[in-house]
Amino acid sequence: MEAKHKYAFYLGCIAPNRYPGSEAAAIKTSRKLGIELVPLKGASCCPAPGAFGSIDLNVWYAMAARNLVLAEQMKMDIALLCNGCYKSIWEVNHKLKHHDELRDGVNEVLKTIDMEYKGSINVYHLAELMYDDKIVGPAKIRDSVTNPLTGARIAVHYGCHLIKPRKDREFEKTEILNTENPTWMEELVAALGATPVEYRQKMMCCGAGGGVRGYDIVHALDIANEKLINLKEANVDALTDICPFCQLQFDRGQIEIKEKFGVEYNLPVLHFCELLGLAQGMSPQDLALDLHGISCEPFLQKVL
Amino acid sequence: MAKTKGYPEALETKLRDRYMYGDDSHPEFTDSVEKISMSIPHMCYQCGTCTASCPSAPRSSYRIRKFVRRVVLGLENEALTDPDLWLCTTCYSCTDRCPRDIAPTDVIMAMRNLAFKRDIIPVNFLKTVQAIYTTGHGVPNNDVNRAARVKLGMDADPPTTHTYKEFIPGIQKILDYYKLKANADRIVKEREG
Repeated sequence: MEAKHKYAFYLGCIAPNRYPGSEAAAIKTSRKLGIELVPLKGASCCPAPGAFGSIDLNVWYAMAARNLVLAEQMKMDIALLCNGCYKSIWEVNHKLKHHDELRDGVNEVLKTIDMEYKGSINVYHLAELMYDDKIVGPAKIRDSVTNPLTGARIAVHYGCHLIKPRKDREFEKTEILNTENPTWMEELVAALGATPVEYRQKMMCCGAGGGVRGYDIVHALDIANEKLINLKEANVDALTDICPFCQLQFDRGQIEIKEKFGVEYNLPVLHFCELLGLAQGMSPQDLALDLHGISCEPFLQKVL
Repeated sequence: MAKTKGYPEALETKLRDRYMYGDDSHPEFTDSVEKISMSIPHMCYQCGTCTASCPSAPRSSYRIRKFVRRVVLGLENEALTDPDLWLCTTCYSCTDRCPRDIAPTDVIMAMRNLAFKRDIIPVNFLKTVQAIYTTGHGVPNNDVNRAARVKLGMDADPPTTHTYKEFIPGIQKILDYYKLKANADRIVKEREG
């Protein structure tokens, strides 16, 4: 069957290079939902908005524009699975489309590598496509589920850079513009048969962004730790995210928190694509869940 | 700038008064920050919604409101030499809630850009630049992950610059255009030898 929707699949760094199961899951689960993800050959780091944005915004614009041009050459919109990548790729695309001076500056640099940014494509996060019923929508996701995650209490970490700052963002579904207390991801979790769980300070940052994880790891982990305390209070079986960098912070971060603060949570952390994969019948091996810092076993026993 | 209070000299050299003097202020700093951030910090009325929304504030002395005030007053040195400048996680909660439609997060990023011009930058930022210059990735692949990818039935390397290395010279050209790699190498060497 010819897929109805085709996107250039922008991978970023952490998904393919640390959690390859989420890349595999994104491709397989999307196919079942009528989305074909075509490799965006030669893409680089988005580049990391915290690191590059802090050093020189002009470099950030130019490097992100190069990735955008690769998709323009394929004449395809971009789909991606990371909030940090969304900030770079979506936001630079948006800025260059609206600021002539910025675009001219970027094109001057791109000229040295025989490229030109035209502003001919759009950028989407897979999570927003999953929620958009013109593309997929919760009902279609529910229909694709063969192994409902019944009985699992799952909390959502939305992360920051998909939805904030709200005043710049443009989404088909206005529910995504609610940055104070959104519930659209909970709808997606419910579509998998699981029980979405609310917790205190749900919208708080994971603490890793802006280069803080590298600059002051104890400070960054302390932020993640506050969220983990709140998640423990809510008695959840797993945390789901839509950003591999947040996932790294919560998953591998729990090991660092144990070392530095002496507290242990053993809370499995899964990208929404990984959860969707499990619900569509992919095995833990298909998702390389053994690469996670925190064992997913207790959660898997509940849902498999 | 310290001004004398008439204490004995040994003490004077250790003290700094709390006044702000005209020559502490650099209006061109305010202008640069507004230009780079494409935001309007001069509209700030110091309500503190930003600091109250900030996940870094409760666990440090970082106060975003204070940084915005420094921008408005042109206190360049005070802002750029403060180590707290690097504690913003860029969560954009302040930007989302600012009643004056300022983007304090972008104001911080602009100040970091200006600090970098004075070589004030934590090395972890520069190491990301070095990694991208060599591989195209800020977080490059490794052997454990390659083995896992193969087990998943995927190529050992993703279809990015890792597989299509012919794109790396283009990336290097962009970074060299801004002399970013040379500066990163120089500063990392100064810090770490």
